[in-house]
Amino acid sequence: MARYGMVIDLSRCHGCRACMVACKVENNTPKGSFWNYVFRFEEGVFPETRVSFLPRPCMHCDNAPCVKVCPVGSRHKTLEGLTLTDWDRCIGCRYCEVACPYGVNCFNWKDPKKNRYLDWSDPSLEGVELSHGMPYANPDLDLPQGSQGRHTAGGGRMKGVVEKCTFCVHRLEKGLLPACAANCPVGALVFGDLDDPESPPSQLLREKPHFRLLEGEGTEPRVYYVGGAPPTTASRQIEAVKARVER
Amino acid sequence: MNEKKRLPFGMGRLGTKWWVLVGVSLTLVTRGIIAYSQQASEGEVVTGMRDIGPMGGAAWGLYIVFVVYFVGISFTGICLASLIRLLNLKVLRPIVRPAEVMTVIALILGALAILADVGQPGRAFLMLLKYARPQSPFFGTFAMVISGYLFGSLVYLYLHGRPDAAVLAKRPGLLQRFHRWWAAGYGDTPPERARRVRSSFWLSVALLPLLITATSTLGFVFGLQGGRPGWFGSLQAPGFVVMAGLSGVGVLILIAAGLRQALGEKERLNLELFRWLADFLLVLLAGYLYFLVVEWLTNSYAAGPSESLVSQAILAGENAWIFWGSVAFLTLPAFLLLLQRLRGRVSLPLIVACGVMVNLAAIAKRFLIVVPSQTHGMLLPYSTGSYTPSLVEWEIVIGLVGLGGLLFALFVKGFPILELDRDYLGGTK
Ligand code: SF4
Ligand code: SF4
Repeated sequence: MARYGMVIDLSRCHGCRACMVACKVENNTPKGSFWNYVFRFEEGVFPETRVSFLPRPCMHCDNAPCVKVCPVGSRHKTLEGLTLTDWDRCIGCRYCEVACPYGVNCFNWKDPKKNRYLDWSDPSLEGVELSHGMPYANPDLDLPQGSQGRHTAGGGRMKGVVEKCTFCVHRLEKGLLPACAANCPVGALVFGDLDDPESPPSQLLREKPHFRLLEGEGTEPRVYYVGGAPPTTASRQIEAVKARVER
Repeated sequence: MNEKKRLPFGMGRLGTKWWVLVGVSLTLVTRGIIAYSQQASEGEVVTGMRDIGPMGGAAWGLYIVFVVYFVGISFTGICLASLIRLLNLKVLRPIVRPAEVMTVIALILGALAILADVGQPGRAFLMLLKYARPQSPFFGTFAMVISGYLFGSLVYLYLHGRPDAAVLAKRPGLLQRFHRWWAAGYGDTPPERARRVRSSFWLSVALLPLLITATSTLGFVFGLQGGRPGWFGSLQAPGFVVMAGLSGVGVLILIAAGLRQALGEKERLNLELFRWLADFLLVLLAGYLYFLVVEWLTNSYAAGPSESLVSQAILAGENAWIFWGSVAFLTLPAFLLLLQRLRGRVSLPLIVACGVMVNLAAIAKRFLIVVPSQTHGMLLPYSTGSYTPSLVEWEIVIGLVGLGGLLFALFVKGFPILELDRDYLGGTK
């Protein structure tokens, strides 16, 4: 069985945030939810400054603190190495969110239907035809996933539950790459089976020195970085995304 | 003779003061319910909480602060009641029943505060029954604290109330049926009494370790989180227990002073009793201030960069006024109580003021434990977050406090809030 993981080549990433957009479109996440987030850093003092980028999906930790604390087993590990949330079971206590050191969890603070980027019931949009259905209703997301048939795919489910990056579990089942990896214009996100020595990420890990984020926390992330260095206390964010939900 | 006909401690008689208390409580509860229905229909977007990370918020806020606060109070209530009974501290005997009632009410409020916090309260019960995972410290809070402990303290209150209920069950009146139900055939005969005393002794013995465990799990909810700077630590659980003691004794002082005033019970609730409570408070304050210094020293000398960010935010940043306020409200009472002790005086207003200050400090300290570690304790270089509770959160929380007052007021009118003397109405046999 495949045990998935991701290797991110920081030397290729140029901070275009296409992965963030691809994720939003694929998973129909509501306003303010960023399952994948690309840091844009600046270091040093002008004119000696250096800019760097760091995409941050969920790390799908093998020793995931979020899984340990979930009181109802909604947050769980699958045999394929994914860390998933069963939105049908989540009680919305947000314990996973405070336990995760990477800040990747998104709670539905309000009804996601009322939290879309565009109000699709607006009369002026009448007659707008989209070739592949409405952008907030990816039909694949409703299918139960995995051998247990749990409801883990996609976002924008209901208010009061926590959602986060799934590595596009619904695409993996169809043999597709996660949306972020499939859409990165420079192939910086390399996804595959880490147990298979011939898979692209495994090869990359053999060739290049790598690190994982917050290695000291003992979370054993399944996301590796090559071609760069971990952020330091000197890394400042240039234009942090202002993720907001308002009443 | 006429005096003897009336029920004791103002039971069954509804005076003006009582109506005022009930009126105020009801208003607060109503506002709380309105606020909650707003949250239920719109979602928790009406709170000041937001996601940790790109959203720069705190995912746990005022509700969790008050869960911890209420559970702490109830913990103290039952511990004091058990200790007073086990050690047979005669002076403190009169506050045993108020302490037990406080325990039960505070637990109910704690459970409701959890419900206010979770995003899917309707699901919570079902899912917890079906899929509860004991490995999660949150489970400890839910299952042990709220149900086990609520059950334990209800039984405790029930058992200890039976002799009084037995006496009152013989009195005709509106409440007779209730008292009969409570007594449930208990007649307070010597063998019955012996059996009751024995079972209550073992219950106390069994309850105490359960309580310590339960309150420690509450500390573990935070203390086991390696990924949140400022939470991980072994002092977290003992600190929780001592702070719980402080706030609980504080509330008990307020209750005792209120009862003394309202019922004119200057004899049972005498100054000697308040002196004891003040001494408790003083000892706990000394203990807590010690924790505070240790915590501060470790944080300022040996902390990693993210830990120092959190303590920076607490000591000098946006939360500094809360921190220094709580320090003031801990040192000032300590100083005043010590002074009073040294001069050998007992001033009721002073003790009451200390009770209030200690509770404000307790709430502030809980806030500082819960919030800055989320807004300033991010290990990745996100921008720092902020959290200010919204009006809805305050209204819900204050509504819960009002509910506490309401439940207490109702209890006082239905059952003797102080234990009846043995010879009351010829209750001795
Ligand atoms: S990154 Fe956070 S949410 Fe993802 S598996 Fe690790 S602890 Fe869980
Ligand atoms: S918010 Fe949901 S997934 Fe997260 S710990 Fe609570 S029940 Fe589990």
